[in-house]
Amino acid sequence: MAVLLTFIVPLVLMFIFGSIFNGGNSGPTGIPIAVLNQSKSDVAGKIVSTLDTMEAFQMVDSVKNAAGNIVPFDTTSMKEYVISGKATAGIVFPPDAYTDTSTALRLKFYYDPKNEIEMQMVSGLVRQAVFSNFPSIMAQSGLRLANRYLGSDSGSEFNKGLAILVHKYFRLDTANFLNPGKWMSYGGRTDTARGRGNFMSNFVRIDNEQVVGENVKNQWATSTIGGWALTFLLFAVTASSSSLFDERKSGVMLRLLTSPVSRVHILWSKYLFNMCLAIVQLVFMFVVGWLMFQVDIFSNFLNLMLIIISASIACTSFGMLLAAVSKTRQQANGLGTLLILTMSAIGGAWFPTFLMPSALQSLSKLTFVYWAMEGFLEVLWRGGGTVSILPHIGILLGMAVVINLVSIWRFKKGDIFS
Amino acid sequence: MIKVDRLTKKFPEVTALREVSLEIPEGEFFGLLGPNGAGKTTLMSLLVGYLDADDGQISIDGEVVRRDKLDLRKHIGFVPQSLALYDEMSALQNLEMFGKLFGIPSRELHKRIEEKLDSAGLFERRKDKVKTFSGGMKRRLNIIASMLHDPGILLCDEPTVGVDPQSRNAIFEFLERLNKQGKTIVYTTHYMEEAERLCSRIGIIDHGTIIALGSVDELLSRLPYDETISIMKNPSTRECLPVFQSFGTLTEEDDHYELKPSDGFALSNFFAKVESSGLKYQWIELHRPTLEALFLQLTGRRLRD
Repeated sequence: MAVLLTFIVPLVLMFIFGSIFNGGNSGPTGIPIAVLNQSKSDVAGKIVSTLDTMEAFQMVDSVKNAAGNIVPFDTTSMKEYVISGKATAGIVFPPDAYTDTSTALRLKFYYDPKNEIEMQMVSGLVRQAVFSNFPSIMAQSGLRLANRYLGSDSGSEFNKGLAILVHKYFRLDTANFLNPGKWMSYGGRTDTARGRGNFMSNFVRIDNEQVVGENVKNQWATSTIGGWALTFLLFAVTASSSSLFDERKSGVMLRLLTSPVSRVHILWSKYLFNMCLAIVQLVFMFVVGWLMFQVDIFSNFLNLMLIIISASIACTSFGMLLAAVSKTRQQANGLGTLLILTMSAIGGAWFPTFLMPSALQSLSKLTFVYWAMEGFLEVLWRGGGTVSILPHIGILLGMAVVINLVSIWRFKKGDIFS
Repeated sequence: MIKVDRLTKKFPEVTALREVSLEIPEGEFFGLLGPNGAGKTTLMSLLVGYLDADDGQISIDGEVVRRDKLDLRKHIGFVPQSLALYDEMSALQNLEMFGKLFGIPSRELHKRIEEKLDSAGLFERRKDKVKTFSGGMKRRLNIIASMLHDPGILLCDEPTVGVDPQSRNAIFEFLERLNKQGKTIVYTTHYMEEAERLCSRIGIIDHGTIIALGSVDELLSRLPYDETISIMKNPSTRECLPVFQSFGTLTEEDDHYELKPSDGFALSNFFAKVESSGLKYQWIELHRPTLEALFLQLTGRRLRD
């Protein structure tokens, strides 16, 4: 079994990493993004339609209000939606996003940079959606600018002259050129506008506003430290739980079992010790993060501790389960390595889950690593209160209960006490 | 008084004990002698309440032993066959940890630890890690770790496995002292010499059944002869085989002949005949009857087969 696992572990990891970075994956999917279109312009409407059709995004334009009714976003509710972490970013097309007299498209971009890679990708994709409609914006705005600077008569003459030139060299219909609204039906080519920022900013003005974590000193460390801490914690509790095998082999287990303590006491003492070890290790990792990377652990310390304790309980349960289902320490270590690396990878401990195929994203929600990670982000990144982390705590403890029930069943059937 | 009444224990692939019954009075040094796999360790596990029987029962002073009767274990010390110690911890730390399992108050525990370490000759090494101990020292520590709660009954499951003769002697003396102090000791072994030296009464177990029970003398009296005589193989003794056969049953072994004397055998007559046949005395060896011989007689197999 142990030898078999040495083949399985790399294969599983290759599959996960391949799913994320290989060309077989068409890119991120289902990133929640909130959209509020207050503009009546065609351009804004087209951009919203483009965003809606992009697989990378799961567009949301309404929210449940206090009365429980689904209502369209307003600016405040959309901002809150992003702050709450339900959407990675929010785009607002204000009423004056692109009026009849506008020479540039204006939009507001609220974002939550909880993960640098994710944010860069979201930002790039939003720009892609905007600039896919760029030719029509540029043409329309160009004509308006010409009219503004040359006067309406001279401007019209200039535009006609320009249209003839364009027709001559680019075979573009003159009427279409002078009525750029029709261009949009052609769609447009994708351009991330790298290196053209100054030129394009004349036509598209995106007002960025970071709504979460703006006061976080070290954004990278704050969003990643929990993931690394969890991965190594899982290895630690697995090793500690596997000491049951050493105790059985050495005969110490027999001595324990012939003393006036029950099997339940033995398991509980092991469980409590591992849980304390897990809490100490997680706290230690966060303190190191505070000392070395200025991760702010004290402004929301109580809630951080609640998540640490919940995550520790879940991790400890996992370690005990490994000991319960394995027959030898080697088997527990092999199986542990496979599960820990897999859970860490798909649970978002190493990279954001949105990078994965949608099936893996769904699977990630079944891992307690995902919920622990989300809990850490809620506390450290968004400064979430106790109420906001209750779902995370509930799920982590619920998972721990289920895992413990399976462990107890397996311990009763297994070899540890025989 | 330990009372074992028609005890049966089955495992999925084997019946380890079949209707075993015996009584061990308080203060007795009782030996359980049998080959590997005979059921000795299973019986010990049932005696300490680590396993539950499928049928029959064990009682200690009238109280039935069961797995869930944890308090009863405070009256029993179990010395496992394996060295049930934490190698990376010191002798003192091991004893503190195992002592606490029995709920001994801290001050009393430390007093007892010092006494036991001293009596086992380990006091000077109490702060050393167990992994630095010799095999004999580990065995002694293994025993005292089972006695910190001062039990009236000590169950020793082959406690001298892998121990050098000197350390073995030290362990024997230690156990004999305990027995003299009034402890009931149940001792399993497959070494007949150990059983003969230590035990006032012995149960011989094979295939999960007690096949013989009694004091050493009682058991040996069950043999049809008092002693065996081995005769070295050489041309002179080979010529005298009919002479030897006239004294009993002669069997040929690899390097000697073995004579089991028949009824009415007289040693003086035998040696007179040897002398008159011109054989040398040093070719002849007289063996007292042994438990090994009894086991062979009862089962047709040797103890260590």
